[in-house]
Amino acid sequence: MQPEKAAMARAEFDTRKAVDFVVIGAGAAGGVLAGELSTAGFDVVVLEQGPYRRPGDFSHDELKVMFLGELTEHPSWSDPQSFRHDAAATAQVQSGLDAAPPALYARGVGGSSVHFSANYWRLRPLDFKERSLLGAIDGTGFADWPIGYEELEPYYSRVDWEIGVSGAPGPFDAPRSRPFPMPPLPVTSAGVLLEQGARKLGLHPQPAPLAVLSQPHNGRAPCMHCGFCMGFGCEAGAKSSTLATAIPKAEATGRCEIRPLSTVFRIETDARGRASEVGYLDADGAQHAQKARAVILAANGGESPRLLLMSDSPRFPDGLANGSGLVGKYLMGNGHSIAHARFDQPLNEYKSVQVTRLVYDFYEHDPRRGFYGGGGLDARGFIQASPIFFARTGLPPDAPRWGKAHKDLLREGFTRHMAVLGSTTSLPLERNNITLDPDRKDAAGRPLMRMTYRDHDDDLGMMQFMQDRAVEILEAAGANTVWREAVAPQNVHAHLLGTCRMGADPAASVVDPWHRSHEVPNLFICDGSSMVSSGRGQPTMTIQALAFRAAEHIAGFARRGEI
Amino acid sequence: MPQRTVKGAGADDGPDSPGSPDGAEAGRREFLARMAGLSGAGWLAIHAPALLAAGEAAAQHRVAGAGWANISAAEAATIAALVDQIIPPDDLPGAAEMGAVHFIDQALGGFLADGAEAWRAGLADLDRQARLADRAAAGFADLPFDDQTALLQQIETSPFFRQAILLTHCGLFALPAWGGNRGEAGWKLLGFDSRHAWQPPFGYYDAALYPAREAGGAAGESGHGAR
Repeated sequence: MQPEKAAMARAEFDTRKAVDFVVIGAGAAGGVLAGELSTAGFDVVVLEQGPYRRPGDFSHDELKVMFLGELTEHPSWSDPQSFRHDAAATAQVQSGLDAAPPALYARGVGGSSVHFSANYWRLRPLDFKERSLLGAIDGTGFADWPIGYEELEPYYSRVDWEIGVSGAPGPFDAPRSRPFPMPPLPVTSAGVLLEQGARKLGLHPQPAPLAVLSQPHNGRAPCMHCGFCMGFGCEAGAKSSTLATAIPKAEATGRCEIRPLSTVFRIETDARGRASEVGYLDADGAQHAQKARAVILAANGGESPRLLLMSDSPRFPDGLANGSGLVGKYLMGNGHSIAHARFDQPLNEYKSVQVTRLVYDFYEHDPRRGFYGGGGLDARGFIQASPIFFARTGLPPDAPRWGKAHKDLLREGFTRHMAVLGSTTSLPLERNNITLDPDRKDAAGRPLMRMTYRDHDDDLGMMQFMQDRAVEILEAAGANTVWREAVAPQNVHAHLLGTCRMGADPAASVVDPWHRSHEVPNLFICDGSSMVSSGRGQPTMTIQALAFRAAEHIAGFARRGEI
Repeated sequence: MPQRTVKGAGADDGPDSPGSPDGAEAGRREFLARMAGLSGAGWLAIHAPALLAAGEAAAQHRVAGAGWANISAAEAATIAALVDQIIPPDDLPGAAEMGAVHFIDQALGGFLADGAEAWRAGLADLDRQARLADRAAAGFADLPFDDQTALLQQIETSPFFRQAILLTHCGLFALPAWGGNRGEAGWKLLGFDSRHAWQPPFGYYDAALYPAREAGGAAGESGHGAR
């Protein structure tokens, strides 16, 4: 598809003339960085591997979107990924309609903010300093952040207002400098049931903060409750993706060129060891190199380390900016555990947003549990909110998979289903990482992304703990049937965190507290890879607060000639 | 596996299936483009049913009276019997009548083309086993319903039968434009109501929050056309 002509002349830059910034990745972080830096007066080129879709390009076609991978490019990958739980094993590539990529993210302008469910949890003060609060955990990279909540709070508020977050304060929330810009979305039946079940157990359910508009905001229309939210792009632009927010802002400056279908394969450095240009392939496979005064890598916690490792050279033999040896390591995906339930009456969770209520009572670490961790619980239709996925995965494990009894269960179950999802901490472990697959290359000739991941025993313990609480809540809410998806080591991650961690010590981190790589002064890395700890499960709010903050500092460095 | 030279190239082309809903999509996109900027839930709610009906009519036209595109008549009979074992007819139609055979026929020329050989081999094997069970049978479709069930119980965990269940589910519950889910029969079975806009209350349990609307709406029951 061709991007529509914007009202004003679109910025177009010559690849052979250095622009102020090349941003790699037009997702949650890259979109914000592009919007902020172009608004600040800098020339910006954004290289995005996926296409430039417009809201009208998104559909409710579940087969095309969820099974044929319209947004994630699975299973028809030209760029597969391989996975193994342990370094001793050979990583495998999954295929088939029911398979999912290990690093599950959307390709296209807006990145995964296009297809996410838009849960926008802030971290809390404890998330930044838990190592100091609790002490070391043997065999892990458990560490404090170099910044605290107070430092990031103004940028969380900017995300609330400039990206667009609906919500209401809850009893456990961290302090905020501004109220939510709009009230929460209307509660769904699953939200009502979570609330009822949780209150019976003495818990404190609250409205969920969501990056979906409940009212008109910044010239955008509110949610129509169409129900095709998680995994789908928003036809109305009511989901606050960067496609609907920061990217149009960037383009309106006339100083930002979004270059879709541009697959980056290398960040080149010059004789001084500075980033000089970014090599990429266009839609026809032709090779280009965009020159830049500075490069900002925001490709996500899987693709950013992959690209750094691919950009090795005699000067940087272990990969660019990898003097610490930590590029790609400490991958954290958050724990997820789920309990399903069927109720007597229709909930119709195929309508409206995924989540309207959550429970934060188990957010903090509690030594009485016997393992490290914390998390949140939310009520949602989950993937079973759409028809094909429900038929595939929405019935109890012992339910017949075909025949008359199967048909009856589908007929009774679809509108009466809900799930409670636990989202929890992941400990940073060296063994969990992104590396280059030594045996296989993608269609562009790049080594495949290889993920190695096995959840820490404490992470599994926390997942199990949260699933037990989810079951209790569903039973207290009056479900007629409750069942579990077995807690087990995870092999698909939509949250890709920690792989280029932030820190003051160049030996123990990849970027400094302002996202500048320790070794390459004009290379910045800002996305989920920057996070030092995993938070409790919904990272995009923090990724974007970091991006607003990074953009402010990077603009200052550029103005003062400090890049 | 990679057929394209560059990742991302042509990602907007969609599957090359004859069942790809291009016509309906184009109309819908134009519609959405026009409504962009209107603060639109009400507008959509008014116009979406007509739009969806138009898309469905286009899909019906594509399959009505047409012969099979990618399967033989004998294969179609085997598939019809197979999918009716997975979702059998009762007071509501079975999978064959709901369009699953058409869906599979279309898919074999599109996104399933790579797996077509394995699928055909599985069908042939099923017919062969049927003939072993009953020498008078030309194929699986000729067996009595209960004998078909007994045969499938023996291959319940085979990749072929798992694929058959997956394709039956897709054929019943994907957009009708893919060739199945005829007249949205699969969605009616589930109680899924396809609209582009909803207003609360959404279900039974949140309806209590809107007492004033209860008389007019029976909102908790919306989407339950099957009963």
